[in-house]
Amino acid sequence: MKNIYEVRLANKIKSTIIVVLFFLFVLISVYFISQALGIYLGYKPGGFGFLGLALIVSGISTFISYYFSDKIVLGISGARLATNKEDKLFMSVAENLCIGAGLPKPKLYIIEDSAPNAFATGRDHKHSVICITTGLSDKLTRTELEGVIAHELTHVKNLDIRLMSIVSVMVGLIALLGDWFFRISWHGRSRDNDDKNQLGAVILILGIIFAILSPIIAKLIQLAISRRREFMADAGSVEITRQPDGLISALKKISSDTEALEAANKATAHLYIVSPFKSNTLGQERTVNKLANLFNTHPPIAERIATLQKMS
Amino acid sequence: MIYVVIGIILVLVFWVISTYNFFVSSKTRIKASIQEIGNQLKRQTDLIPNLESSAKGYLKHEKGVFELLTSARKQIAGAIESGDVNKMAKASSAISDLLPKLTIAVEDNPELKADTVINKLIDELRDTSDKVMYSRRLLIDLTADYNVKRVSVPSSFVASVFKFDELKGLETAETGDHVTVSSDEMKSPKVNL
Repeated sequence: MKNIYEVRLANKIKSTIIVVLFFLFVLISVYFISQALGIYLGYKPGGFGFLGLALIVSGISTFISYYFSDKIVLGISGARLATNKEDKLFMSVAENLCIGAGLPKPKLYIIEDSAPNAFATGRDHKHSVICITTGLSDKLTRTELEGVIAHELTHVKNLDIRLMSIVSVMVGLIALLGDWFFRISWHGRSRDNDDKNQLGAVILILGIIFAILSPIIAKLIQLAISRRREFMADAGSVEITRQPDGLISALKKISSDTEALEAANKATAHLYIVSPFKSNTLGQERTVNKLANLFNTHPPIAERIATLQKMS
Repeated sequence: MIYVVIGIILVLVFWVISTYNFFVSSKTRIKASIQEIGNQLKRQTDLIPNLESSAKGYLKHEKGVFELLTSARKQIAGAIESGDVNKMAKASSAISDLLPKLTIAVEDNPELKADTVINKLIDELRDTSDKVMYSRRLLIDLTADYNVKRVSVPSSFVASVFKFDELKGLETAETGDHVTVSSDEMKSPKVNL
């Protein structure tokens, strides 16, 4: 078992690797796409202009996705800032647990959705965000809510948030773009204008490239995230609250809820405490085979509950 | 060869510095966490009179609870003035001890049970006692971290060279009722809702 400093160091190293890979990926793609466009428009191939352009684009996009990853994730999820009036329980529970964990108070956000779920994002202890759905604060008792928020605070404490949110933004967005291109190329086929056909062909090729990339990217997300992280956050939650029962019954409630969370997508699914796609709920778990389990970003709930029960 | 030796020395120096910094910074954090307990207790004393006056009408018949609330506030105020960690620790449990009594009084009285003011009072009391509990926990965790690092090898060498003393954190008497468990307490609790 790694201690917290080793976990933090591993997260920092992995985050740096992903930032560098993302920079290189954007650099190379922009370089080649601009070269290809240049040739198409009749410019001479080569030259430092294209490289300069690629450097500027990749530099800016890397900077933005590193420093604004939390805002991008919150934006994609459609979250709003929590207010003292409406979300008193959430705010006071989060404040109390921060005192216990010795962390500065994170920014608190709410997603208006009745499916109960929660996630944490941000880049370090001082720039952290915890976001829950209104379904979570409505359906859970105070003790259960404490378990969930302590779980998210452990992600903050271990610096999982940095890795998880840049993975969402940098790796996940490429996967989302792939879906998007693929859909456009599918719709675009019906048109038979000459000009549009050429553009359509380009988009179709891009779509196919991204479609091939997409599963590889999904695999990359899993490799980076590692399901052990969730077990560690569960353990950390117990360390803060000293009572596993709250988190156990919260996990049961969240996973047995049949509503799907609309705000979640491929890029952000791994952030949530319980997979928002409801593929590994308690009831289905017995029938789903082991192979399907391999491709989940979340460990099965039953396994997590069993581990928690050993602690009580 | 000489580079290897220099390398090893550099690594050692770096390790000593970082271990030393760990001890110094956790000492500071422990001090801050003691202040945090005081801070939370201060919040409690400011809060209680407010709650008292808003719930006074509702708790007319529950004089006992009311008196407990007042005496808890006085105890906490006294502890903050003295600035003593252990007095603060004792006072901090005053509110959490009071909560079950208040809950029982409310349970016995259906009129009170349905009342939002009383429920809010209980919520606020629970919230404030949680805050104090968590601030105590931070002190306990930080001192435990510090003390473990102080005695475990190899960081104990740094601790002994620079004379980092053991810190007591929250002091609890080592003998008495709270360290023994009676057979009644071993049974799992039954709750009727």
